[in-house]
Parts: sequence; structure tokens; C-alpha cells
Amino acid sequence: MSQAGLLKPAPERPPETPDGRPPDSSAPPAAPDRPGPTGGPGCGHYRHPGAGTPGERAASAHKPVVTLADVSVTLGQYKALRRVTATVPLRSQTVVIGPNGAGKSTLVQTILGFLPHEGSLTFDPPSPRFGYVPQRLDYDRHLPLTVTEFLALGLTRRPLWLGVSRVVRKKVSEGLERVMASDLAARPLGALSGGETQRIMLAAALMSDPDILVLDEPATGVDINGEQLMCELLDGFKKDYTIIMVSHDLPTARAHGDWVICLNRRVVAQGRPEDVFRPKILAATFGLHQGAELWSDHKI
Amino acid sequence: MEIFSPLYQLAGCLYEPMFMRRSALALALLTVAASSSGVMVVNRRMAFFPDAVGHSVFAGVAAALMLSLNVQLTVLALSVLIGLTVTFLARHSHLASDTVIGLVFSGAVALGLALVSRQPQAAAGLSRFFLGDVLTLDDAQLTALAGLDVLTIVFLGLMTNRLTLACVVPRSSSDRWGEYLFGAYLAVVVAVGVQAVGVLLVTALLVAPAATGRVVSVSFRGMFWAAMAAGLVAGQAGLWASFQPAVNTSAGATVVLVNVLLFCLAALYRKIRPVR
Repeated sequence: MSQAGLLKPAPERPPETPDGRPPDSSAPPAAPDRPGPTGGPGCGHYRHPGAGTPGERAASAHKPVVTLADVSVTLGQYKALRRVTATVPLRSQTVVIGPNGAGKSTLVQTILGFLPHEGSLTFDPPSPRFGYVPQRLDYDRHLPLTVTEFLALGLTRRPLWLGVSRVVRKKVSEGLERVMASDLAARPLGALSGGETQRIMLAAALMSDPDILVLDEPATGVDINGEQLMCELLDGFKKDYTIIMVSHDLPTARAHGDWVICLNRRVVAQGRPEDVFRPKILAATFGLHQGAELWSDHKI
Repeated sequence: MEIFSPLYQLAGCLYEPMFMRRSALALALLTVAASSSGVMVVNRRMAFFPDAVGHSVFAGVAAALMLSLNVQLTVLALSVLIGLTVTFLARHSHLASDTVIGLVFSGAVALGLALVSRQPQAAAGLSRFFLGDVLTLDDAQLTALAGLDVLTIVFLGLMTNRLTLACVVPRSSSDRWGEYLFGAYLAVVVAVGVQAVGVLLVTALLVAPAATGRVVSVSFRGMFWAAMAAGLVAGQAGLWASFQPAVNTSAGATVVLVNVLLFCLAALYRKIRPVR
């Protein structure tokens, strides 16, 4: 398990809510109102249309954007999710953690609408736009497609063989700047490293101007520097977007998450990291021995 | 036909006999459709798809003769059916697309042979669909090839970006209808092309120029136009060479050989100057 998330100090936590609910209560945290993105020069220039003033954001911070009530998903004969009840708070980073086979990817794919489900899944606003960064793309690495061309695919109907227009090229350039990848514009997509590819996928997801940004294991196949850069970028974006991230990396979840959902085919616990990262909850999520080991070794 | 007169005059710069001008024009028209759609064929790893659809032409011809149907329309309909079947099986059977294509290819050939064995008079004209003859095209076939180019420009103008995106993103979010539309479109390209110049030339023109373009380019746009240029150059060079007394070979086969030679030169170039 990578420890890269520990390299960055834990972000400042929002204040406790007055009612002091337990870790698995449904009250989401106040949205973090950080002074600015830490991801670099490009990140601070963008403002989500629905971001509102800081006061407006604070007022709407408790509002859950995604609410799952008794959601079950069956894949063939396998019950991948069992009566999952959870919320995702507005403009914060929600991290879904759990052991292998816990249904983390199934959960986000259900939220994205890729999988049929039983139970209630509601959104506020009712039909949000999603930006999705998949776990790992299995595509032809020799495909002749530059980064600019790939990002242009989501921005224009003009066929690639007619070239990318100046207007679209400018938008692509701005998108790359936001993920600190301006130098990658002319590179073939298949020649990028794992971390570079994930940043390009993040740029593509952001270009759709999403309400909810979904990332499935963004650190998979990424080196330590790439992982740290991705975490810093996401820290910068969470004041503008609601982020849902699947991670098996507990230090990263603890350091960068504002709201954690512990999943093992059902929700074991959900809440702020400091409330969720407790030996009993980890043992219940990851198994008795592994949970105790994670705690005693100070891996989290 | 009046509409082709200016093009015939242009081809007259290279060739004196009228049938040669007609062949040059036919190759150019076919190259526009085949090279551009070949880019999608190669990028989507469907190089054997044209073979499967192309060989279903035999079954289409035999079925049309047995049932007294219009040959062209029957071949077109059966080709589209085969194209959609391959797409459906590739999506739903959990088999790799090359396995599915191989399966349908075998089935199409066997169906053709079975039908021909019951309809011996159909066998007489079938060699034309296999080897083809680019030197004996009439105006109706040229018009069909020109129509194919119009269809190609419209289809690829609308679908290139969707189909290319589906090469990168996971299947769960890819465009299902885009795949079926491409399967049907490609089947039309193959069916029209095979009836004009034969399976051998059509499948070669769908794969070789695009492979050449892919070797020399790192961008989609570069690959597309390099494939188009390679197809046009190899087509005209092959046709010209086949009529030189020192060569004196089949025009279609020579065009294919020049296409392959061009690919080898492109691969050599990429070996000397690798992608950074």
C-alpha cells in the first residue's frame, strides 16, 4: 500500500457540528472553505457556475448531493451491494474505502447509472452532470491520438480529421493548465505515464463541467510523485466540485477525505475521517486482524 | 457519363486508353472510402471484419439467383446483416472480436459454398467477386463508388469522434449505437466495393493504407491523411506499373503489392526515426 498520502499534511478539518452526531450518522460535514487550491497555478482560475459565495456555500454545505437508501446491486448471482444507505455531501471529497471485493467500484458505477439497482438513489439537483475518471483504461497504447485530440473529442463535433479548431485548442490548453499538464498537449496519449494519464482523464472529466466528479482508484499504477500531485489537485478542486473517490489507500483517504464511507458490500460506517478511522470500524471493514494491524502500525 | 468527364480528362494526363482512365478513377473513388474508413477499422482492431463481410457476397449472389431476387440488393442486405451480427456477437458473447469475426467468416464462406453447390450456374460469376477486375467497370459501378464516397464523408463527418472516443473509454460508457452503425456502414462499403473490384482489393485497401498511416503518424489527423495519400499513391502507381511491358501483371494484384511495399517503406522510416 502506498504511503504517499502521508507526505502531505492533513488538510484543515471543518468545525464540529453543534449536535455532535456519531460517526455513522447521516449528517455530512460542512464543506471545506480553504483559502485556495494547492494544485498549482492553473487550479485557482476556474470557478464552478454553481459555486456561489462562501456564505451561500456554507449554507448549502449540509445538503447531501447523493442519497442512497437500501440500495442493492446483484451482478449475475453475486450480491455485490447489500442494502447500502449512505450520503455524499456537497462540495467535499467523499472517499469510499473497503477491502478487495467490497463493492467500491460497483457503488460508484451504480451512482453513475452504469448498473441497475434496487432501492432508492436520489440526487440533488435531480439530474447532475458527472465527470468520471475510470480506474485504469485498457486501450491500445499505440493508438495515434494526441492528448489535444483526445480532449477535443468531448468538446466538439468537428471530426478529428479536419483538425482541432483554434477555439477548442484554447479550451484544451486551459483544461490542461488546470491539471498542470500543459506540456503534454502534443504527446501521444499512449506514451504517457500512469500519473500523466490520470491527470489527462481528470482534465477530460472537468471539461464536461460536472456537478459530481467521480474517481475510481485514481492512484492505481501511479508513482509516488504522480499520486501526490493528483491528491493536491483534488484538494484544490473540492471547493468547486463534489468529489467521490474510491481508494484502497487508507492514509490518502484519511489525509484528503472530508467524508469517508467504509464499505464491505454493506456500509460498515460513514462519517468524518477522524470518527471513522477507529480500530473497531477498521476491523469490521477490513477484518479483525488487518484492521488491528493497520491501527497498531500507525499506517493510518 | 457526363459527370465523370472532367475526371476522365484529368486521368488522361496519365493514361491514354479510356478503360485505363475509368480504372484510375474507380481506384481513386474507392480509395477515398476505403482508406478513410480503414483508419477506423485498424484503430478498432477489425481488420478481418471486411473479410467476413466480403466473403458473404458469395452467399448473397447464390441466394439471389435461387430466389430470383435483385443481386445487388440481396448482397447489400446480407452484408449488412453479417456486419450487424458480428457487432452483436462481439458485444454480447464475451468472446474476443477476432474470434467472433473468424466464426462469422467461416459461416459466411460455408453458406456461400453450400448455396453454390445447389446452384451451379452461380459459380460461373463468383470468381469476379473474389479476384475482381478493376479494368472492366461500367458507369453504374463508378456511380456506386462515388455514392459510397458521399456516404463515407457524411458518416465519418458525424461519427469519427464518437467512434474514436470508444477506442479509449471503457465499454460501460461507450456508444452502443455507434458500434452498430459502424458495423452496418462498413458492411455497405465492403459490399459495394466487392461488387466493383472484388474481395481481395477491397480488404487490402481497407487495411494497408491505414496501417501505413498509423506507422508514420502519432496523431489521428496525421494518420487519416497519411492513409488517404498512401492509398491514392499506391493505387495509381500500381495501376500504372501493371501496364508497363516490363511488369505486365494483374492490375488489382499490383495495386495491393504496391500498397504493401509502401507500408514496408513506412515501417522502415519509423524504424530509422522512432517516435520520441
